[in-house]
Amino acid sequence: MQMEKKRPQLSLDELHQLKWLLGGVLVLLSVWTVFYLEFDAWTLMGLATVAVSAALVRPDWPALVPAWTHRLVFPAVVAFFIGDLWVTGEVLPAVVRLDILLLLYRGVTYRQKRDDLQVIVLGLFLIVVAGVLTVSLVFAAQILVFTACALGFLLVVTLVESAEKGAARPVAGGLPAWAAHVRWRRLWARVREVTDWRVVALGAALFAGVVAVSALLFLAIPRFQLENSLFLERFASKKARSGFNETIKFGDVTDIQQDTSVAVSVDVTDRTQIPANPYWRMLVLDEYRDGTFRLSALLRRAAFTREFTDTALRGAARPVLGEPVYWTFYLESGISRYLPLLGSFEQLRFRETQNFRFGEELGLVALREEPVTMTAYRVEGQSTGGTLPDPAFAKGLRERKKSTPKSDTLLMLKLGVDAADRANLEQRVREITGGAELPAAEFARRADVWLGRHPYSLSPRIPDGPGDPLVRWMNSAEGGHCELFAGSFVLLARAAGFPARVVTGFKGGTWNAYSGNFTLRNSDAHAWCELFDRSTGAWLRADPTLGAGGTQPDGAKGEAALARRTDRSWSARFDSLRVFWYRRIVNFDQRSQVETLKAVKEATENSGRQLRAALTAMVERIKAWLAGPWDVRRAAKLLALAALLAGAGWAWRNRRSWIFGSGAGRHGAKEDPVRREAGAWLRRISDFGDLIPEALGVTEELQRLRFGAPGTWPEPEPVFQRARQAVRELRRRGRVTPA
Amino acid sequence: MSDFLKAAQVTETKQALDRLRGSMRTFIKGKDEVIEQVLVCLVAGGHLLIEDLPGVGKTTLAYALARSMDCTFSRIQFTSDLLPGDVTGVAIYDETEKEFVFKPGPVFASVVLADEINRATPKTQSALLEVMDRARVTVDGVAHAVGAPFMVFATQNPVDYEGTFPLPESQMDRFLMRLQMGYPQPADELEILRIARTSYDAIAVNAVVLRAEVLGFQALAAQVFVEDSVLDYILRIVTATRTEAEFKTGVSVRGGLALRTAAQARALLHGRDFVLPDDVTELVMPILAHRLVLVRQTSDALEERRAIVGVLKRILGALPPPA
Repeated sequence: MQMEKKRPQLSLDELHQLKWLLGGVLVLLSVWTVFYLEFDAWTLMGLATVAVSAALVRPDWPALVPAWTHRLVFPAVVAFFIGDLWVTGEVLPAVVRLDILLLLYRGVTYRQKRDDLQVIVLGLFLIVVAGVLTVSLVFAAQILVFTACALGFLLVVTLVESAEKGAARPVAGGLPAWAAHVRWRRLWARVREVTDWRVVALGAALFAGVVAVSALLFLAIPRFQLENSLFLERFASKKARSGFNETIKFGDVTDIQQDTSVAVSVDVTDRTQIPANPYWRMLVLDEYRDGTFRLSALLRRAAFTREFTDTALRGAARPVLGEPVYWTFYLESGISRYLPLLGSFEQLRFRETQNFRFGEELGLVALREEPVTMTAYRVEGQSTGGTLPDPAFAKGLRERKKSTPKSDTLLMLKLGVDAADRANLEQRVREITGGAELPAAEFARRADVWLGRHPYSLSPRIPDGPGDPLVRWMNSAEGGHCELFAGSFVLLARAAGFPARVVTGFKGGTWNAYSGNFTLRNSDAHAWCELFDRSTGAWLRADPTLGAGGTQPDGAKGEAALARRTDRSWSARFDSLRVFWYRRIVNFDQRSQVETLKAVKEATENSGRQLRAALTAMVERIKAWLAGPWDVRRAAKLLALAALLAGAGWAWRNRRSWIFGSGAGRHGAKEDPVRREAGAWLRRISDFGDLIPEALGVTEELQRLRFGAPGTWPEPEPVFQRARQAVRELRRRGRVTPA
Repeated sequence: MSDFLKAAQVTETKQALDRLRGSMRTFIKGKDEVIEQVLVCLVAGGHLLIEDLPGVGKTTLAYALARSMDCTFSRIQFTSDLLPGDVTGVAIYDETEKEFVFKPGPVFASVVLADEINRATPKTQSALLEVMDRARVTVDGVAHAVGAPFMVFATQNPVDYEGTFPLPESQMDRFLMRLQMGYPQPADELEILRIARTSYDAIAVNAVVLRAEVLGFQALAAQVFVEDSVLDYILRIVTATRTEAEFKTGVSVRGGLALRTAAQARALLHGRDFVLPDDVTELVMPILAHRLVLVRQTSDALEERRAIVGVLKRILGALPPPA
């Protein structure tokens, strides 16, 4: 008896199809970790994506693979793994590639229960590895989606097992019955038909609850320093994305400028301290040889004397009066092992113990290894001016005149070009100075103007010819980018007798209005110079790149300066999410925990106080109003209020009939897509007055789809197709009559 | 029994009911709509109340139906002195057997015409209504089943109220439908005149459907599928009658069930194993109108009936059928 309302169920074949679909989605989700894992597994990932997608679209295709190939798979996979290890010598990337290969195989072959469980384990391994290595925001989203899909998958696997009652079907070889005629739209309609949305809502609520409880536990449990205990990153190959190395050839910085991804995020406790034109120093390059600037071995040895293993570092700057300003840097992985800094500082503190070297005179800090995860450090009392005092260098320079110069000092003066180029450079210096002995700042200004005849270009051309390439460019009128300007300036300064060096790092950045932090992108990478001013004993920043602002130190700070750099774009919104992830999740240490809990407590207390105050004020107002003299107007107001309340109460009581009153009849149709579509076609056909004979037959079938029992339905798609044809035919005959 | 009706069963049922319809049309001219509603009532297992003037073919209609399906027919003329025993039968002492023997009354037939039911006293009326409800008669504490199928055609005159005992609302509710025959069209009446048959007894008709088949139709009708939105539609109609200011009382739950059952029967009659909203819409008037009472009642029954139909039409217009 059909009138007994019995919820329809998916057939065993439909359950198998659903299992196939969810398994494929899990495989795809897992292999896509390659997008942010940065292992060389792109080919495998692409292959897996194409093959698994094809198997999803046509589940009958895997049956075309000859059965004997399955016997070869295991030895082939083992051989692949050994060969991979042999060639690359890296364990983790080889394991990841093996995992993807296994997922690929599982994704394109018919699976039994244990194979389904393998898919989950293999996929989870990939996601966890990617999460531990990258701590990426994508990981957070991916693990959520993966978990939800895996739960659904496990449910379907269980349903299949119980439906088969232990009599599992043979898998390898031959086409399973369920795969012979898969129609995803039909399956989707069936799934919607059988799904009890209340159960789905309950499941979603439970899942959200689990996530919320996890978040609360995350907030509440004591913090452990796990990072140094995880072994995985030791296996990861370390690749610099930006190329801030000790050597730059002309073009390195420009390459970085093509990349607009975030390199550094900076939080600052007093944002008015951010200079209008900030230069974030990372690396000093002193030696010029063979057309290349590099950090000389001499300087590296002299400046980075010993390695520290500590969480804090005291800098050269002296404390100043007033509230200290804290700058917290979040350096992305793959940028550099040199930390970006604005200048000298009082103290630098890491979140955990780090191995690093500190070049005090150079104002640089270098980690032992380039970090593979994001690195956070806090800088206190940072100087933001354009000069860097260096008494040690000044002393070395004075001693040089008396005795043998120290080699590191020498290289700041050494031109590194042959005699002809040296003569040429001296000639250029004379053009700039007019033969006079100029102070460093004045020389920098004039040299900046002199170099200004070169236009700016990101694709410069260095003229052919003998001698040093930088001197050739300087003598031409070709366009150039920051490295060429900075390199030329350094050569000119050295030819004029000023110690000078190239500095690389970032310039500028944007203020993210949503997250309230400063963002430096790889495209902000820049190269500039520092020349030594003997009169002040400090290094003077000079940026000769056209349009960069010259050599004048820009002391402007404050809101107005910041407003110029404020970013309110969509990309800033996404970056703010990313900052939240790093600041509040990844780098959520004990201090942040205490701060967050304090903030939550404070916010709760504040809200409570405000609510109490508002209630008290309201009660007082009502009392005062009631105590006032009564007249008709006041009574009318009171009556109107009572009527309003009564009306609202009545509306609330009758809300169901309002909501479902006239539309309740369509409720059933809305639930089922087939019924809904059949209803739509019936309405369309009934819009035409007298029916053509072709429409009559299809009307009966549509009526059965719309109002008949699902078990008696004809195949919906062909019916809808005929309905489409009938409507087209009716239109063609021009028999449209008003409905 | 499987969950769904087989197409062949539905087709065979439709053919059989078409035969029945054809047989009745031979004797009842120009009343196709009435015949259809009678058949709906038969398949739904309900009883009919025909309100119309004398001499418009009510008895012929009932007789033709009974004969067409090889069933027994009886006619009871209700009068004010009619006793319940005259309807149901009585227990008489049998001298030879030395015990009371039950003598079945005229109600023991498959098709019973209760003519002018409102002329009988309420006591007699209720005796008939008990049979209608339970399909059995209880005399001296012994129950006697009247058999199946069992269908009562009750008639009453809507104009002449003198010396009558109108049926109360609760008893009206027991009738599945209320119909009006009305006068035939002139062409149809001309043909009736030409045939010149004066008594229904003279109707010679061969049975086209067996009794057992009729029972099968009734069982099948109960299995006709009613989709949720159609049930919602029925519910909205019924609910609207309850909130309508012009009605003293709305339709009872039994009324809603009657509408659903009748719609199932109509769907089967049209060869469908599922109900369309049209089945419901078409049956709203005959199924619901007699269950409703206006707040402002009039002395004219025809006028009141028209007013109720008007309100029901307005309700149907305000409630769009599911699409």
